[in-house]
Amino acid sequence: MEILRTQSSKLSTPIHKGSVWAFVVISFLGFLDATFLTAEHYLGPLLGCPIFGGCDKVLISPYSAVGGIPVALFGAVYYLTIFILGIAYFDTGRARVLKLAVSLTPLGLIASLWFLYLQLFVIKALCFYCLLSLVTSTLLFILGLLMRSRLGADRA
Amino acid sequence: MYWSHQVKRVFLWLGIVALIGGAAFGMIKLAGRTPASQTALLANAVSASDQIRGNKDGKVVLVEYSDFQCPACKIFYSFLKNIEGKHGDKIQFVYRNFPLSQHTNAAIMAQAAEAAGKQGKFWEMHDMIFENQDAWANQKSADAEKTAVSYAQSLGLNIDQFKKDMNSQEIKTKIENDYKGGIKSGVNATPTFFLNGKKLPPPTSYGDFENTIVQAINANP
Repeated sequence: MEILRTQSSKLSTPIHKGSVWAFVVISFLGFLDATFLTAEHYLGPLLGCPIFGGCDKVLISPYSAVGGIPVALFGAVYYLTIFILGIAYFDTGRARVLKLAVSLTPLGLIASLWFLYLQLFVIKALCFYCLLSLVTSTLLFILGLLMRSRLGADRA
Repeated sequence: MYWSHQVKRVFLWLGIVALIGGAAFGMIKLAGRTPASQTALLANAVSASDQIRGNKDGKVVLVEYSDFQCPACKIFYSFLKNIEGKHGDKIQFVYRNFPLSQHTNAAIMAQAAEAAGKQGKFWEMHDMIFENQDAWANQKSADAEKTAVSYAQSLGLNIDQFKKDMNSQEIKTKIENDYKGGIKSGVNATPTFFLNGKKLPPPTSYGDFENTIVQAINANP
């Protein structure tokens, strides 16, 4: 696999280029998902309960927004930040940029786990797009952990 | 060399901005799409057996197929309250039962509302059921029935009669007929609205819903 060796003054430990690419692509998918949910909040039809299948209970629940702002919008900002930092790392090769992106991933995972708890135990309904976000945030966290060890080693 | 690198960087970031903008635009278009095939008509005309409020001679008739346990129906209940406050003198509001099988207490509450209707308090019970949806939605059926009886008590209904009516075949048949009429009219989700006989596409917001109704009022002075 191709190894990304950045300018030696910035990062001496090799990081798999594939890992960073995966990091960028997954954050972009998360951005698409969260942007769709945000747009759905403002523009989508107020969907009710179909004869077969669950209601759109999660997206119309009070937990879907904080102070009138849909939580999906926070998600979109989160994924976009990680995406831009990932691209900035490719552009500049600065380890600090990647470290910052990696340090944000626990936030996404914690938020997604909180939403999973709300869906399972409070709202008692699941939302497909929210689960998709749980998958992307978990993958980002795992990739972050893998990269963190290399980034951490670089500090020594 | 330096300038070529800088030009590449500019193109990279322009490409990224275009990608983000395009993706956001695509998602917004996708979310704002209009659902297709909204041409269904109301199969069963409004009759004396229907539950009606507002102006019974109003030229604008809004028929709702609803399920008391559906969270979206509760939201539209508050929308309708607002609309009734503003335009209630011009609209006939009709409530028809469409209890979904996945909502275990929806049919019980439909029976309770219709039983209250036998004593002239359908709408009072309808409002009370929606206002307290969170309190009974997850109850066991037997407890939900007790909850309905407690609502009947607070409305000052004759409780023995209410209990008898609630489980009567007459009321169960009425609810079943509402449901079958909904199926014939192409109802496949709750709430579904028919404005002067035509099925409305799912509204995107309260404003959108009110606008559609105001347009119908203006068209039918």
